Amino acid sequence: MRKFRALLLRLGGLFRRSRRDEELAAEMESHLQMHVEDNLHTGMNPAEARREALIKLGGIEQTKEMVRERRGLPILDVLLQDLRFGARMLRKNPGFTAVAVLTLALGIGVNTAIFTAFDALVLRPRPVKDPDSLAAVFRTTPGETHGWFSYPDYIYYRDHSRSFSDLSLFAFGMAVTSSDLPTTGPEATPRIAGAVGFRLPQLLQGSAQPIMCFFVSGNYFPMLGATPLLGRILLPEDDQANAPPVVLMSGNYWQRRFHSDPQVVGSVLHLNGVAFTVVGVTRLDYVATATSVPDLWAPIPAKIVLGVISRQELENHLMAAGFPSGRLKPGVSLFDAQAELNVLAGQLRTQYPEAQRNMSVSVVSGRNSLSGLDPESWAVVAAAMTAVALLLLIACANVASLLLARAAARRKEIAVRLALGAGRWRLVRQLLTESIMIALLAGALGLPLATWMLHLLIVEIASALPSFWGTIALQISPDIRIFAYTLLVSCMAGIAFGLAPALQASKSDVNSALKEEGSAFGRHLSRSWLRGILIAEQMAACMVLLISSALLLRGSQRAFKVDPGFEAWRVAYLEMYNPANLHYSQSRLLQLNRDLIQRIASLPGVQSVAQASRGPFGGIRWVPVTPVNAAPSTPGTNGNELPVAGYSFVTPNYFDTLSIPIVRGRNFTPSEADGQAPVVVISEATAHRFWPGEDPLGQRLKIGSEKGTTSFPGEKGPFVASGEVIGVARDVRSMDLRKTDESYLYLPLSQTHQWTSTLLARTEGDPTPLLPVIGQEVRRVDANLPVMGAPLATMISMNPYFVVSRIGGLLASIVGMLGLLLACMGVYGMVSYNVAQRTREIGIRMALGAQSVQVLRHVVREGFQPILAGIVIGIVASAGVSRLMAATLFGLNPMDAVSFSGVSLLLGAIALLATWLPARQATEVDPIVALRYE
Amino acid sequence: MGERADVWQGTLALMVLKTLQALGPLHGYGIARRIEQTSGDLLAVNYGTLYPALLKLEQEGYISSEWGMSDNNRKAKYYKLTRAGRKQLEKEAREWAQTTEILARFLSPGKESA
Repeated sequence: MRKFRALLLRLGGLFRRSRRDEELAAEMESHLQMHVEDNLHTGMNPAEARREALIKLGGIEQTKEMVRERRGLPILDVLLQDLRFGARMLRKNPGFTAVAVLTLALGIGVNTAIFTAFDALVLRPRPVKDPDSLAAVFRTTPGETHGWFSYPDYIYYRDHSRSFSDLSLFAFGMAVTSSDLPTTGPEATPRIAGAVGFRLPQLLQGSAQPIMCFFVSGNYFPMLGATPLLGRILLPEDDQANAPPVVLMSGNYWQRRFHSDPQVVGSVLHLNGVAFTVVGVTRLDYVATATSVPDLWAPIPAKIVLGVISRQELENHLMAAGFPSGRLKPGVSLFDAQAELNVLAGQLRTQYPEAQRNMSVSVVSGRNSLSGLDPESWAVVAAAMTAVALLLLIACANVASLLLARAAARRKEIAVRLALGAGRWRLVRQLLTESIMIALLAGALGLPLATWMLHLLIVEIASALPSFWGTIALQISPDIRIFAYTLLVSCMAGIAFGLAPALQASKSDVNSALKEEGSAFGRHLSRSWLRGILIAEQMAACMVLLISSALLLRGSQRAFKVDPGFEAWRVAYLEMYNPANLHYSQSRLLQLNRDLIQRIASLPGVQSVAQASRGPFGGIRWVPVTPVNAAPSTPGTNGNELPVAGYSFVTPNYFDTLSIPIVRGRNFTPSEADGQAPVVVISEATAHRFWPGEDPLGQRLKIGSEKGTTSFPGEKGPFVASGEVIGVARDVRSMDLRKTDESYLYLPLSQTHQWTSTLLARTEGDPTPLLPVIGQEVRRVDANLPVMGAPLATMISMNPYFVVSRIGGLLASIVGMLGLLLACMGVYGMVSYNVAQRTREIGIRMALGAQSVQVLRHVVREGFQPILAGIVIGIVASAGVSRLMAATLFGLNPMDAVSFSGVSLLLGAIALLATWLPARQATEVDPIVALRYE
Repeated sequence: MGERADVWQGTLALMVLKTLQALGPLHGYGIARRIEQTSGDLLAVNYGTLYPALLKLEQEGYISSEWGMSDNNRKAKYYKLTRAGRKQLEKEAREWAQTTEILARFLSPGKESA
């Protein structure tokens, strides 16, 4: 306690130092006087008296110093001193300070931006009540760690588990339509996204506006403690089988479409033709456990009412329903819950051996989406963080060389200090304080820079996505965590770039510095060695970034050039949004299709229209397939016992429309298609897989299984007991542009019996100008039909590997360009510094007869050495990195010569320029002047 | 040398407190002289270490200071024992007495038999 009091007093002792110093001086003076008087009384003469007293008293200055140390906290004292001095030095060189701070602010800002995005998306606790007790439950199978649950499984866990006070289900969202709302106007064209090659299918003008609806169980909102803005939230009673249809509107949709009309609560909204009552409105930007804001929230049984699925499908153990999350009871840990759910999973496996084979569950924290990330997402995160870390490294190296240059200019001052007795560590500490001050300033600037960059990025992304995909509500607001991260990064950067120069500078050779022999020949060698390393490192980092970006961009460009095996440039891809849910009867639907196809086919410029259940790039559906009477030894993929193949129901003119040649056998006849005869056209790969070396025509395949297959709501898996192979089609790349489809089947589509959502229209030229015309035809047929359309070739940009390559390449090139700019500034600075330092040496050389060209070559060659080293290191490092990226390059050779050599030459040329420009100054040296130059 | 200085610092503080208790409020010079006298001039107080010690005692709250007039009408800073200081003095005096007693037993021969 006493010690604490003493400490507080010492803190206070930092203030009003001069007054206390005076007091102490006065006290010791009076002490001295008293002693002298006593001495006089004992008979000494005044001189002796004073002398004796002084000796007895001891060193006055030392005592004052000791008291001063005792009085304040020496550490803080020194720190304040350093800070004041540092601030003065920075103010004295505003140009240097500005450049250093801006350079670092860039590096720190970009780092903070990435971290902020990561935090907002993944780390931040979900905006619900008590997120720490939330848990997310996933189904795991070999090969999948974050799988979905079926509805009956969810009910089973909900009813039988005792670890959760509530277990709710978040089901897949669906787009619905409403005849109550006006049709769409033209979608705003995204700006930047379009420029870099992303063109997502947009709604055709005039089609009905789809509304995004998320489906949740009745206990979802009460579990999360949600409070509505108006009206009420969804409750468990809305989950009951015969409950009246209700829907909860999101605040965003309410603002956008209903202009914040408070009368909306209690009003009726027709969705897919069914009357729903709007019971409430959520707060603005409320996402609960999702990542985007929908237009509506509805209870899961509403899916049946809307016609999205049937009751049997909902209660099917094999149908994907959604993702459960639950609230752990107080005192129950994730571990306990996991153990209990393992037991329940075991029970389900025993009860339903077929459906539950290989399935188990995993329980993870639902506080944020951190545990819900799959390995692919982690790879993207890691790549992004590495790229920005490289930029920061470049920035630090840059500022370090700036500091070195400045330290060299202060050699005399430092030498004097050392001569006066300053400890080396004291000097280093002081120089380091300056560095950290620069870093902190940069951090203060970097934080708002990061926020601004993120806003820009989000606005661009948001405008690129169709509005009905949901609003991405990212809360980018700086908070303590981000601030602390920025501070940490700044301090680390400050130490990183400040330490080496500080150590270097304090090693000053006192003698030579005082004698100002700065331009002596060998003196600067050690310093330029360090600077050389810094330059080399910057160049290497730039190389890695730029080569990676070149590879990614070239790779993603290849995606457009790859021959997919079918015609993609003169085909329009049209996707209808489930008009079945408007409760049209089957016959009405089929008539709709026929009318539509007829109208579109009769448009000038359209050659043919085909129909399919799945078109190229439209997603894949798998079905188990076995040859009838074949050896059971044909192995399956993914460890399943049954081999699977992709499939699609197609009309006979599909192959012609897409120019897919049938290389053996024949196409379906119209009567086979209409009658849904048990015939099938297989792809070459399928033929090779099941009957290698034999003629597949006439062989038979069992497609699907009697018990039905795992599939998505609204789609039935096919079942053909024995389908005859009548033709073999050329392989195409409809799933993944990087390789041909593994096995594919084409089944006959009956236009009189089967409705599908995909139409493909073959046009004479570019289909883009025809899209609005097609939209008009759609509206003439049925105004309630939402139809998306795009040229088939642009669907390539939906491929996730393409997206990753493109975006990755763009980011890497932006970061690389910035890094290159910084590095070149560094090179320029170093060379001009070198020239200035060695003016005397150059003068001597020239006086001894060297030509200016020779001098120039000498300086350039010296300056270019570290750059060359950096380029070489960069090439080696890039070779390693490109190997990791090979999967995303669409077949581009990871050691692509064009990228490597092109970037090396470009970098080398720019760096050479940055070296040559300041080196020219060397040739302008007048030997006489140089020799006199001090 | 460092260790000895510390020990002396601790005992110096004790001597200062005792001096103030015996003589009442006193200035720095007076304290120093008194300590020298009491020790029979066996101790030479380095006045330089006195002032830091006085500051420490003041920070810990055992003594308080005040400017006043000395006998010869000279301005001097007078130190006074506080109540906490008084208690601390008693406590430390007790502890020292105990320590010396234990040590005495160890160091004086012949007393073991008994």
